[in-house]
Amino acid sequence: MRAVGLALAASLMLSACVQTRQYADLQFTPPQGDYKLIVMRPDVSVGSVTTGGMVEPRADWTETSRANLIAALKTQQAGRGGNVRVLARRDELANVSADTVAELERLHGAVGNSIALHKYLGAYLPTKRRRGLEYTLGADAVRFGQATGYDYALFLYAEDSFASSGRVALGVVGLAGCFIGFCAPMGGGGQFAYASLVDLRTGEVVWFNVLQTGSQVAGIKFGDIRTPEGSAQMVERLLGRMKPGRDVQRATDAKK
Amino acid sequence: MSSLVSRRAMLAGGGAIAASLATGVAAERILPSAMIPLIGPGYRPIDVDERGLWQQYARVEEEIAGSNLLIKDPALTAYLRDLIGKVGGPAAKDMRIYLARIPDFNAVMFPTGFAVVFSGLLLRMRNEAQLAGVIAHESGHFLRKHQLRQWRDQRRKTDIFSILAVGAGVAGAGVGIYTGQIAQLGQLGTILSLLQYNRTLEAEADAMGARLLAENGYPPIEMANTWQQLIDEEKLSAKYRRKRYHRDISLLSTHPAPESRMADLRISASELTVPGRAYDNGRARYLAAIADIRPMLLDDQVKLNDPGASQYIIDTLAKDGWNGLLRFYEAEIWRLRNRAGDDLRAAQGYAAALAYPDAPADAWRWHGLMLMKQGHAAESRAALSHYLAMKPNAPDAAFVRQMLMEPNR
Repeated sequence: MRAVGLALAASLMLSACVQTRQYADLQFTPPQGDYKLIVMRPDVSVGSVTTGGMVEPRADWTETSRANLIAALKTQQAGRGGNVRVLARRDELANVSADTVAELERLHGAVGNSIALHKYLGAYLPTKRRRGLEYTLGADAVRFGQATGYDYALFLYAEDSFASSGRVALGVVGLAGCFIGFCAPMGGGGQFAYASLVDLRTGEVVWFNVLQTGSQVAGIKFGDIRTPEGSAQMVERLLGRMKPGRDVQRATDAKK
Repeated sequence: MSSLVSRRAMLAGGGAIAASLATGVAAERILPSAMIPLIGPGYRPIDVDERGLWQQYARVEEEIAGSNLLIKDPALTAYLRDLIGKVGGPAAKDMRIYLARIPDFNAVMFPTGFAVVFSGLLLRMRNEAQLAGVIAHESGHFLRKHQLRQWRDQRRKTDIFSILAVGAGVAGAGVGIYTGQIAQLGQLGTILSLLQYNRTLEAEADAMGARLLAENGYPPIEMANTWQQLIDEEKLSAKYRRKRYHRDISLLSTHPAPESRMADLRISASELTVPGRAYDNGRARYLAAIADIRPMLLDDQVKLNDPGASQYIIDTLAKDGWNGLLRFYEAEIWRLRNRAGDDLRAAQGYAAALAYPDAPADAWRWHGLMLMKQGHAAESRAALSHYLAMKPNAPDAAFVRQMLMEPNR
């Protein structure tokens, strides 16, 4: 029993990691050159993990992190030649009403849920196998692009949490217990984020990526979006290695 | 080894169950006089956890405020705003209220002071005092900082549980006992005690609400009446569906049993009622405020196809007097249920609705169609013509005109 406990603890410690998984439309080419991108109200939430394991939202951390993420995103996109505008409120656009922005957000919420369900959570659809990302926001997104003049819209969600000192202490006790046969490693804190890129000329969701970091040991972190460096790291992990779609990839491979 | 461990685990488990049973016993009635608001006008969050909560809910409120489920009739929303402004205590002017088109008996208060009222609530209330009672109850949650207190209670109890579980596990391992089962019972105890806290807060909101109601000149007994109506509605709904009236197991319930709430509210009401003082239930004002949407409220309800509940609601509203609208929707219940004999009941209902001056055009339409089915062609034509006269632009007007032109049906 003791041996099993130790092995479990070891495997859990090994499973602590940074994971991303991206999907792209088969014909997707990552935006390059002089493109215009609008980021739809990034949804950021940062909190602290209580001793009992609940996440307590923190207003100050969330504000700092949102500002850092937006700055990091602008720097990163500028490096690709993009023109970025970050929407902070729904009523900021001259030609589009707040209600229209809200409806586009909700539509994306519904489509994003489908993508999460059928591409990430295991309910894979046999008809969509090996077909990349086949989702669209339809004419609404095209109209939005025409009204605003943007080529792409990016939807961004990020959450981060940090183990409180109580959680870290409890994790230490739980881990120490492994040596006498009671193993209670305790996760505490971690990141979860997703980014979804919509081509506003076609309305299609052309690229989607999910990032997850976490460890089974409270107090060990893989990034901290409260700092500018941590935010830059998350943006890089999430958007830095944007791969083209399969057809595009094959075409470039064939040329070589 | 196993017999020894399981016996110890059983003993400890028995203790945990006894302890949790003790926490589940109905709490004593909370006195309205003890309910002092914990926040004043213009309240802003101070502590770190509350600021985090407020920030999160700002986005929730934005989402709700822009929802297409909301009924945005300006006169009606102004009426609700005035009502919460009246019974909302010290924070009355800070609270926001949204009306959602959901045919269900419910209202929710969020931790930042905005409330969502379901349209099904407006359908069921017999007068302004009953509605004000529900709104005052919800205001009580905000005034007594319930969501924050509940969050803190939950945080504290899960902290304690985690520390105990890990501590017991490590200690148990040290002496060679597996404590997993005990930890599970501890978890159950924690959950039960969280629910118990929730019920206490509901009882507090009831007491606070009754007090706000009485202070604003509404008869406080109306809050108890609201609960009586809810209980009876659920009973009749269950009976029509040939189900037993569902009673929550009080140990596992987030809200106190309606029966005990009602009993407490009755006592509180008599305590708060000042002999000789005039109380106004504001029925006329209430009916005027909801007049425009009442047909829609009734329509949403009968389409739920819950004939027991619909029948109870209509009968309850009719205690203040039958009218053409209520008679028409009573008939609709039976037409939509459509069991043997229901068409006859529906036909009688439509006919009865026409005796009132406010009978809706659709009552004439269905009366005409029922007469046609029964072979009374001439009477049917008269009723359908009346329908067309009332609603010349009805969606089916052309169809009905066509029927009237066909000879001898």
